[in-house]
Amino acid sequence: MNGIRICVAGIGLISPLGCGVSENWIAIITGKRGMTPLKLFPVAQGSVLPVGEAHIHRVDPGVPRTHNLAFLAAKEALEGSPGPPDAVVIGGTTGGMLETENCFKAADPAGTWFRYHSQSSVAEYVAEKLCCPGPVITVSTACSSGAVAIKIAVEMLRAALAKRVLVGGADSLCRMTYFGFRSLQLIDPAGAKPLDTARHGMTLAEGAGMLLLEARDETDGDEACEIMGAGLSCDAYHPTSPDPQGKGALTAMKAALEDARVPAPAIDYISVHGTGTVDNDLTEARALHALFGEKMPPLSSMKGSMGHTLAASGAIEAGIAVRTIREGLMPGTTGCVQPDPRLRLNPLIEPLERPVNTVLSNAFGFGGNNASVVIGRRGVAHSRDTPPNSPYLAVAGSACISGAGDITATIQAVSEKGDCSGILPEKNFCSHLRSRSIRRFRRLSRMALSLAISAREDAGPPDDPVSVLFCSGWGPLSETYSFLDRLKSSEESFSSPTAFVNSVHNAPAGHIAVHFRATGPNITTTGGDYSFEQSLMTAGLVLRKSHVPALVVGADEFHETLSRKFDRSVACGVPPADGGGALLVTRSQRPSDTRIAALFFEHATNNASTMHSLISSLGGVERIRTSYGALFAGIPVADEDLGREQLETFCSTAGFQGPVIRYRRFTGEFASASAVAAVMGVALVRDGIVPGGFAESGAFELHGKGILMLGFGKFITAVEII
Amino acid sequence: MKNLTDELKQKIVQTLNLEDIEPEEIGETDLLVGGELGLDSIDLLELVMMIEKDYGVKIDSEDTAKKVFVNLEILAGYISKHSTGAGR
Repeated sequence: MNGIRICVAGIGLISPLGCGVSENWIAIITGKRGMTPLKLFPVAQGSVLPVGEAHIHRVDPGVPRTHNLAFLAAKEALEGSPGPPDAVVIGGTTGGMLETENCFKAADPAGTWFRYHSQSSVAEYVAEKLCCPGPVITVSTACSSGAVAIKIAVEMLRAALAKRVLVGGADSLCRMTYFGFRSLQLIDPAGAKPLDTARHGMTLAEGAGMLLLEARDETDGDEACEIMGAGLSCDAYHPTSPDPQGKGALTAMKAALEDARVPAPAIDYISVHGTGTVDNDLTEARALHALFGEKMPPLSSMKGSMGHTLAASGAIEAGIAVRTIREGLMPGTTGCVQPDPRLRLNPLIEPLERPVNTVLSNAFGFGGNNASVVIGRRGVAHSRDTPPNSPYLAVAGSACISGAGDITATIQAVSEKGDCSGILPEKNFCSHLRSRSIRRFRRLSRMALSLAISAREDAGPPDDPVSVLFCSGWGPLSETYSFLDRLKSSEESFSSPTAFVNSVHNAPAGHIAVHFRATGPNITTTGGDYSFEQSLMTAGLVLRKSHVPALVVGADEFHETLSRKFDRSVACGVPPADGGGALLVTRSQRPSDTRIAALFFEHATNNASTMHSLISSLGGVERIRTSYGALFAGIPVADEDLGREQLETFCSTAGFQGPVIRYRRFTGEFASASAVAAVMGVALVRDGIVPGGFAESGAFELHGKGILMLGFGKFITAVEII
Repeated sequence: MKNLTDELKQKIVQTLNLEDIEPEEIGETDLLVGGELGLDSIDLLELVMMIEKDYGVKIDSEDTAKKVFVNLEILAGYISKHSTGAGR
């Protein structure tokens, strides 16, 4: 689609400063400080730190706090909107963690809240309440999640995958982040003082920010502000410490300006990440000096006012940026009294009244995940006319881990006994990893790094990966359990900083980036049984030629206690299984390449015509018949009846008569099973032959055709391997 | 003091999962950060937790940590000076 503008059609904000855009704006402009001693949950030991607690009313008592924060903000963003958004993209780091902790604390083994534990359940809840039919993507890149989500939404609109996207971030306070950040000594006991000489850390807060983004024609006569562009990068330096020179932050800001087609001198105001930690503010200042030199625009941080709302912050601050442009009023840096002369930044202490046409908004997170967004008044830059990225990616290398072993062992196990499921001992996939470099990793991170290295080795000639797209349905469960267990057993006296930093969903992606020094976009998505499909779709959307080669890695670990509580399919009493798959992808156009693309992602029940739109997305009945030699069907055992019905409907509607392979029957049940299936699919399409053991009908040839991989259940997804 | 440094060597290897190092290989004056051991900020925070738990000694500021986590000798000295025996 040419000549489109990406307009901010609605905004919803919840923070410690208030509910709604107006309350937040007035509080920020008047320098209100929303920090109070923690009341949300009792603290057994030690002094109580100040936090930014949101005060919300009229909540749904049946869902966790994060879900309520997200939905309240979503409702405000959609006020006056003619219908549901086509897609939902939400960033998060905590999901239902607060309620999961309550279950553990109360020794509630049934854990009625566990069904809402996952981070992706937040976006799914919002999508369900709004009857959103389209893709639902959950971004988990720690404190940059909300801003990274905006980048994905922008690319979705440019690719015409949606016309209206609800995008944002939401996080509630919980013990995990409270004690986790405390163990890292990153919290200022007196409240955050961003950019101040005496700053001692951040203030942990909660909230939600949602934007309704609409693709509008260039000729539309409205005055809505636009998301002009966004840029991503990775430090590839350290799990928690930023690159001291701020190289990653600089790369993200430059990429955002380039994407927005705005030169640095045209930026009128910078909404800095400015958490108030010594290191963040110092490295961000270095990056800002490198980009703007002597012509530094006015800048300020909002985190001394509302605290650090983690995944929500990038989205909240983008929403405030829109208001800044409309009002011609730039917020001051509440909490900053004596600007640190070492930063040489001269931040706004008081609000400054002056016309603002463009805002650069920064969000940086653990794992070195950086995102910058450019928000502008209409007409500041020309609309873009560059073609969107193709969903098709060429596969240069691949690797998998199943209960049977690597890809060769996996295919052999399926062909010999129709089963490759189980738990592969770590020594079988860690032998090529240096013990020193993985000493702090548990099973998921080890698996992910091993997969990444193996896929890179398999690829041969291409260069090392520039970008990393990682996904996991449940994230690092070993670290999550270890953190909560130590906290509980020590009566909240002690927690493990190592377990905390490695428990975030994007930790494995950070480790992969450090290993390869992959400084391009680094995105972790999570979406239960559809995590890999989300990751592949995101890869197709964001990867430009300069971002490849890229790794797309999906993995999940089985955890004896947590997997059975969280994953509905594993709770069905199936034997333990885990594993994952990795693809090294490029933008090569050679006809001989095996290519993979995520072509479809819709909510199964919010959309009556899903099956017809699936078939038309795949090019119609005739193309399906002539293009695919086999169908890989992923039906989570918890959705067996629904999934089987959907599969039958697809086969009869599309007239598909080829072999149908129910891959979860041999991979076992785990969220990223489709990553293993995709890697198998790539190998089979390359060989042109599917050996016996896969399909009930025995071995067969593909005759130059590809494999269609469909996911069924709550969502219907389609991935093409051709 | 020798007992304490020996004990700390064991605990450091165990706490930080340094599988490729034997406790006795760590010298009393070897640099903890930036030397052969190559510990980083997360390791030091993990040790802060261990020292508080096992010796009842708090190291709760970056400045103190910088002074204390130089080498084993200095660390052991700090612990024995500040220990109240309240560790658990």
